[in-house]
Amino acid sequence: MICNKRRVGLFLRATTILALTSVCVLAQGPAPGGPPESPKAGAPVEMTGYWVSVVVEDWKYRMLPPTKVELTPAGFFSGGLGVPLNAEGQKVALAWDPAKDEATGEQCRGYGAANIMRMPGRLHITWQDEQTLKIETDAGRQTRLLHFDAPKGPGGDWQGGSQASWETVAAFRVPGLGALSGVAIEKTGSLKVVTDKLKPGYLLRNGVPYSAKTVLTEYYDVAIEPDGDTYLLITTTVDDPVYLQQPYLTATHFKKQYDASGWNPTPCAAR
Amino acid sequence: MRKISGFIALTAALLTSAGAYGQFQFGASSENSGIDISGDWSYIGHQDAAYTTAFGAIADYGGIPLNEAGRLFALAWDASRQTVRQHQCAGYGVPYVYFSPGNYRFWEERDPYTQKLIAIHMWFQTSEVRRTVWMDGRPHPPAYAAHTFAGFSTGTWDRNVLTITTTHLKQAWLRGNGVPNSDEATVVEKLVRHGDRITVFTVMKDPVFLDEPYSKTMINIRSIKDPTAWLYACEDGEEIVNRPDEKIPNYLFGKNPFLREYADKEGAPLLGTLGGGQTTHPEFAAKLKNRAASEAEAMAEVAPSRGPRQESRVVNPDPNDGEIHVLKVQGNVYMLVGDGGNIAVQVGDEGALLVDAGAGKLSDKVIAEVSKLSRHPIQFVVNTSFRADHTGGNAKLGAAGEDASLPGSFFGGQAPVGATGFFQDPAHHATLIAQNNVLIRMEAAKLPNDMIPADTYLEKRRRKYHNGELVEMFYQPNAVTDGDSIVQFRRSDVIATGDIYDTTRYPVIDLKSGGTVQGEIDALNNILDKTGFEHDEDGGTMIVPGRGRLSDEYDVAEYRDMISIVRDRVKAMLDAGATLEQVKAAGPTADYDTRFGANSGPWTTDMFVEAVYTSLKQSSPARRK
Repeated sequence: MICNKRRVGLFLRATTILALTSVCVLAQGPAPGGPPESPKAGAPVEMTGYWVSVVVEDWKYRMLPPTKVELTPAGFFSGGLGVPLNAEGQKVALAWDPAKDEATGEQCRGYGAANIMRMPGRLHITWQDEQTLKIETDAGRQTRLLHFDAPKGPGGDWQGGSQASWETVAAFRVPGLGALSGVAIEKTGSLKVVTDKLKPGYLLRNGVPYSAKTVLTEYYDVAIEPDGDTYLLITTTVDDPVYLQQPYLTATHFKKQYDASGWNPTPCAAR
Repeated sequence: MRKISGFIALTAALLTSAGAYGQFQFGASSENSGIDISGDWSYIGHQDAAYTTAFGAIADYGGIPLNEAGRLFALAWDASRQTVRQHQCAGYGVPYVYFSPGNYRFWEERDPYTQKLIAIHMWFQTSEVRRTVWMDGRPHPPAYAAHTFAGFSTGTWDRNVLTITTTHLKQAWLRGNGVPNSDEATVVEKLVRHGDRITVFTVMKDPVFLDEPYSKTMINIRSIKDPTAWLYACEDGEEIVNRPDEKIPNYLFGKNPFLREYADKEGAPLLGTLGGGQTTHPEFAAKLKNRAASEAEAMAEVAPSRGPRQESRVVNPDPNDGEIHVLKVQGNVYMLVGDGGNIAVQVGDEGALLVDAGAGKLSDKVIAEVSKLSRHPIQFVVNTSFRADHTGGNAKLGAAGEDASLPGSFFGGQAPVGATGFFQDPAHHATLIAQNNVLIRMEAAKLPNDMIPADTYLEKRRRKYHNGELVEMFYQPNAVTDGDSIVQFRRSDVIATGDIYDTTRYPVIDLKSGGTVQGEIDALNNILDKTGFEHDEDGGTMIVPGRGRLSDEYDVAEYRDMISIVRDRVKAMLDAGATLEQVKAAGPTADYDTRFGANSGPWTTDMFVEAVYTSLKQSSPARRK
């Protein structure tokens, strides 16, 4: 009997844990029996609206007209260039010719997904539909579509194909029970975007290249200051096996605007 | 069966709570989000690669929202300033610390019994910056507390974002080319972890040197292996032998020889490299296309603008709420704030020794607070000057005190017939001590006898072993007056400076009472001759100023630098034959006015400039003509 009681107890415990786990997971999703929550409806943070870039990081490269990189006598690139280019990447960067880009109609090489967020300007973020977040830039008049479902189209253009998801973490959250409480999948508030199928472009407007094999991973976070100022932070990792020795990391920020003031669409410029 | 039933009951309770679990939002607890940033990290300099550690060319300020004062301060900065003893080991502030190369370590401190998060500690290898981010909800210290390079930080979690609020920062670098942040700056940081990276986003507000918030991102990457290098020894030395302490390397306004060096090298318009809020706005790129207009605007930015001078934007650290506030300094010494000038109180087995007596408006409350700190009455009051802010409470504090060393002594029975105050009954009165000129000036002002120090000294040093430590009074001739003293508590390692050092305004150099600008600079250097720092120009000898917040050596050095630099500017103009009005109009204090300036009140910027001008003129026989 004692043995049977133990078995009953174990069974009940296991059943309870399973039930509780499913409840915990369900608790983060839509109402039981309802349709799955769309990415738009389940957005943990508000990213839509107008945002203006605050040009602080890499100010020289972003704000001033692009100038050709040079090798210093020590063999390093001049001007504090921090892009971890490999030898092939350096060779391509040194050969930058904006006139050639203009002649071939490729003035937008610096406005591809791997650099467009670094361009001084404004973003207009809207939901195109329940599954797609749209980012328009006034600099270069570019449009990025961040698909929470499968990216559409073949890619191969400046903005490539972007797969979006709300970042989640697993957590044990019922007080006092630790693992007994089950695993809850919770949204952190970050938007993760992975972009590939890119047309080769520039990481900086002065011809520092990225290739078609580039995979761009971005995290979008919203930071609200005590005074209500709201910023959009974009942390970017560029993985390019062709031109980079290691992943290239940057972070860029924008300040929230409450209207479209300053929105000034301008075409791409090679210099 | 009882066990099974119990478990079923527990299960029901759990399901009930799980039913409410939908309300259990991520990061519901502000002290713990479930995200952990503990571990070893390092800065990755893919962006802003030119600005790691001490890099940054002279006059490369693009993207920093400097106001006029900040820009002028940076342009006056000479890289040789780093050879000055107090600047050699200066610590790294926030957010500059995130540019430091080397290794970072973050770790949690938890209550061993409740496991609640108390603090997140941060260690940055370069400069050995030690930060504590308090997560237990404690308040920030009062405005009159000391500042450090790391400041005082509190934090909260919100989802996956750790928000850190930092106050009580010292004046430090925003960039290693002289771009400053002031001690009034505050910083809000957001640390967001994504896998093995932390994005650090900081927003600094500095009413003294910035015209807009300075927002900035940095990226830390995880170190998989515990790095071997964690230490950073710094000890100052004699880098320029025989250079007088009063010589602070600086460029006069408009005379920085490297003004255009960076702009020319990069082919950048000067206006852009001079920084300012506009340089962070996208529209600025278009503005730079008009080279002639931008050049004209730039040239207007390299010297003080004309017109009314800026005023201090610093909140007075004195609460001025009719109460006396007590702050433990260190050792046996406390600082009392609230009754005019600050009062330093030393306690121990003997009677309390006070440095200064305040304005006298709240003397009863001062006496009450001292009685909480000391089981013995006030025995000595040392006046650092004759000024009312420091001697106004002499009579009341003296009367409430008792000098136990006098009964039965020769002095105890020497009261002449008709004597008043201390002289009437010295044993039942605290002994008032000061340099002799204080007595002379107070007698000349016909102040009551019980306010006037009876125990005076003439030589440069008076000493007294009291409450278990040596207490030394050093006469500082012709500083802000001709009767100034500083008081050093040797074991406690505290110096009370009187008005020689005042964190709230330019020094009140009273020429009519014997003050001189050179004497003031010398006095500040004398203070610095007696100080030491504990770690990278933080702590060590603590300084109780005549007014304002608790300080240390580095704060005094910045104050000394300021007066020396203003002195140099006024002297250069004086040598060139400028009149007082011309000197005032030139704005020789323009980079310090947002910190110390005033256009009204008892001590204005104009009065300070006039004091410097006149003092210099009087010091040179040739200029007196």
